[in-house]
Amino acid sequence: MTTIMRRTFLGGSAMLGAGLLTGIGPRLANAQTGEITVTAFGGVWEEAVRKCFVAPFEAKTKAKANVSLGGPPQWLAQVEAEPAKPPVDVLIMTPDLALTAAKADLVDDFTVEKLPNLAKIPQQLTDSVKGKGTLFDYGVSGITYNKDRVKNPPKSFAEFVDRVASGEFVASVPSISYAVTPIMLIWSMAQALGGGANNVDPFFKAMEKMKDNLVFWAGPNDFFNHLSSGEADIGIYFDGRTWNHFDSGATWIDFINPAEGGALNGVAVQKPKNANPLAWQYINEVLDAKNQEQFAEIMNYGVTNVDVVYSDKLKPRITPWQQTQFPPYEEIAPVRNEWVDRWNREIGR
Amino acid sequence: MQAPDQPAAKPAASVIKPWLLTVPAILFLAAFFVLPLIDNGMRSIVGETGGLTAGRYLTLLTDSFYLRVTVATVLLSAGVTLICVVIGYPVAYFLVRKAGRWAGLVIFLLIAPLLTSIIMRTFGWQVLFARRGLVNNFLVDQFGVLSAPLRLANSPEIAIAALVHVLVPFMVLAIATVLQSVDTRLEESAKILGAGRWRTFWEVTLPLSLDGIGTGAILVFMIANGSFVTLVMLGGGLQTLPLMIYQQFNTTRDFGMASAMSTILLVIAVFCLFLQLRLVRRRGA
Amino acid sequence: MRRDWINIALAAFVVLFFIFMLAPILVVVVVSFTAAGYVAFPIPGWSLKWFGNIFAYQPFIDALLVSFQVAIGATLLSCAIGIPACLFLARARGAWAGAIMTFLLSPLSMPMIVIGFASLFFLSWLGIGISFTALLITHTVVCLPYVIRTVAGVYAGVPRSYEEAAAILGANPAKVFWHVTLPLIRPGIMAGSLFSFLTSFDNLPISYFFGSSSTNTLPVVMLSYLEHQFDPTIAALSTLQLAMAVVALIVVDRIYGIDKMTVAG
Repeated sequence: MTTIMRRTFLGGSAMLGAGLLTGIGPRLANAQTGEITVTAFGGVWEEAVRKCFVAPFEAKTKAKANVSLGGPPQWLAQVEAEPAKPPVDVLIMTPDLALTAAKADLVDDFTVEKLPNLAKIPQQLTDSVKGKGTLFDYGVSGITYNKDRVKNPPKSFAEFVDRVASGEFVASVPSISYAVTPIMLIWSMAQALGGGANNVDPFFKAMEKMKDNLVFWAGPNDFFNHLSSGEADIGIYFDGRTWNHFDSGATWIDFINPAEGGALNGVAVQKPKNANPLAWQYINEVLDAKNQEQFAEIMNYGVTNVDVVYSDKLKPRITPWQQTQFPPYEEIAPVRNEWVDRWNREIGR
Repeated sequence: MQAPDQPAAKPAASVIKPWLLTVPAILFLAAFFVLPLIDNGMRSIVGETGGLTAGRYLTLLTDSFYLRVTVATVLLSAGVTLICVVIGYPVAYFLVRKAGRWAGLVIFLLIAPLLTSIIMRTFGWQVLFARRGLVNNFLVDQFGVLSAPLRLANSPEIAIAALVHVLVPFMVLAIATVLQSVDTRLEESAKILGAGRWRTFWEVTLPLSLDGIGTGAILVFMIANGSFVTLVMLGGGLQTLPLMIYQQFNTTRDFGMASAMSTILLVIAVFCLFLQLRLVRRRGA
Repeated sequence: MRRDWINIALAAFVVLFFIFMLAPILVVVVVSFTAAGYVAFPIPGWSLKWFGNIFAYQPFIDALLVSFQVAIGATLLSCAIGIPACLFLARARGAWAGAIMTFLLSPLSMPMIVIGFASLFFLSWLGIGISFTALLITHTVVCLPYVIRTVAGVYAGVPRSYEEAAAILGANPAKVFWHVTLPLIRPGIMAGSLFSFLTSFDNLPISYFFGSSSTNTLPVVMLSYLEHQFDPTIAALSTLQLAMAVVALIVVDRIYGIDKMTVAG
């Protein structure tokens, strides 16, 4: 649409209701000032971000960091809608969305000059999102179960599939409506059962075998509901969240990293092009070892700076990322939609 | 229907052209509903490498899987609407004719569920209908009615029940607002003239409240046709177009396909809406 | 005799209906008073701590205010442009009026996620972007149909003779509208506004795209909160919303009489 059309349109809208358009002003001054907007999930995540990253950033730069709550698809859409003037200065992304942003050239390259702490992050993690961002924390998806009902839990994905198929227990697995299901379930299980990104038949065969004893969760809390309400006894879930539930009193819950290795589910940090340069200093704080240690302590998730030393409470809970299965995001991206389509047709929920 | 309403009001009403009254609403939706959708609709016909394509629409209209999804969408919306009418009418009738000073309480009880976040409402359903939930505990352990727990959650019935739960208040209030303006004297006259209770209802009350059923049916059908949150949260294996659209946004980020699906959904909805409006008008006239 | 049976059957049906409506909500209310640190039913003990937690988490309070402002703003705007349209549409016959009505109701059938996504790009292009104004505009798009359909449904049932009588007695159109039409369609306006308010207040798929640190609505914050935390605060928040509704309805009842919402006074 052309500028002339846009002018005409604006004129028309102004006539429609003069008072409507008053909201334009305040946000224009975002870039190049001592104020940035960073992103976070709500609740304890946000509190951790404020304490571990925002506070040191504000102390060092005397600038202010506003925290915008929400989720990755929302932030990415917001940046896509206004790439010249991104409404957020720091993005928190799932790796596949981070890769989408990198490919669409919406985000800046990460370099050690701009981010001294990047040197302490394993190269593979930065490479996984094409160097346009890096992973700063991660969870592992594996087998979470209710200790009261499952006395002798399966130790591997293969055993999990067989025992669910036999009807020994009802399992709750992520539904296709959950954004990372293609990685945490489809790829992860295909890989464990002898397939991979180029062959997911083993996964679909396993699902066919298990179908009478499966329920599906659409969001992390759904899974917890399934387990606590008795809808399911066991399922595929994340380690960090399992420990969070445990710490808040659900001591009947436990997690196993399957013998084949659970999939790594990283959280990437990125900087949109044209965002306030102050964002670099903030991201440097995100990659700092001391700050990450604190973050891990609150969130029960692994972090990526190599200098981090976990506390005694955390050590047994955290699986080093090298012992997880690292998803080949680049290989998965082109076939992901085929998997989803196949899921819709064969599994259908 | 013509003769009595024509003459007298004319001089006063013709000071301004009455159709002008619709202009603000039309302009508003044209600017902030139609234009964004056209802008977005372009995604559905632009190919991945540029250039125009009808491929997505062809897939949606010829692939048996997508056809099944489309049919399921319409059937689900129609089914939910029908259930809402059947359940909602007696409640609306009770509210207007029988509730008396309890009417306020009835209205409150209708609205209250709508004020609970959908996330928590879903949790409520799960607690009630889980494999080891309250209902099954009741039926299996307390009464021994059943030998094994029913698989209630994650079944289509629960998703439909949850949809009805969300939408039936709209139906009840829509019917009630019209029913209360039905002159009870008409019903009295019918009775005096010897019509039985049922005949009075079928031949006087029900026809006079059709506008309310029409309004309720339109609202419920349209909302059901576009809703996905309940289906995402309660599953049940119902695959509908809105659910597929949500998936395109959330999982596959195929906005072109999402856009094509929403065009088809809109065409279906507008077609059904037009049919319903004609039906209501003809019967109401 | 038979009449009694019908009345009893009707009352029994209504009671069953409300058990159906309230059972899931009751579960939520009970859970909000749990002493446990997680959501589960039945609860191990009673506590009020999750209510305190709501007020300890500032984003909930901020978002609650934004939600109220948007819901009220969108409802007023919908009434302002919707009610006039009804005055024409409810009385008009013919294909054009039908087409216009269809058009004005069509936002209902578009999944809101599509409206949200499309509007984000369009309004950003216009320079309105992520702002309270954008939130207000998009919410009005989806609230408008509720007002229009409900008001038109009621107005269609109002006999023309009332307004004609007033006109014959010499009242000008403005006076006819204010003193005759408006009181007659008030139940429709009340019900439509209520639908509109609830739709806006509970909206997630649109608000989601326009979320920022100053424009997040309650459902957006709740969803984001739930992504990593599932303590009973959300249940407490739902219970609090219910309690606020009770208070609001009692106030309405004292001032105005709640049954007037459907029964023309």
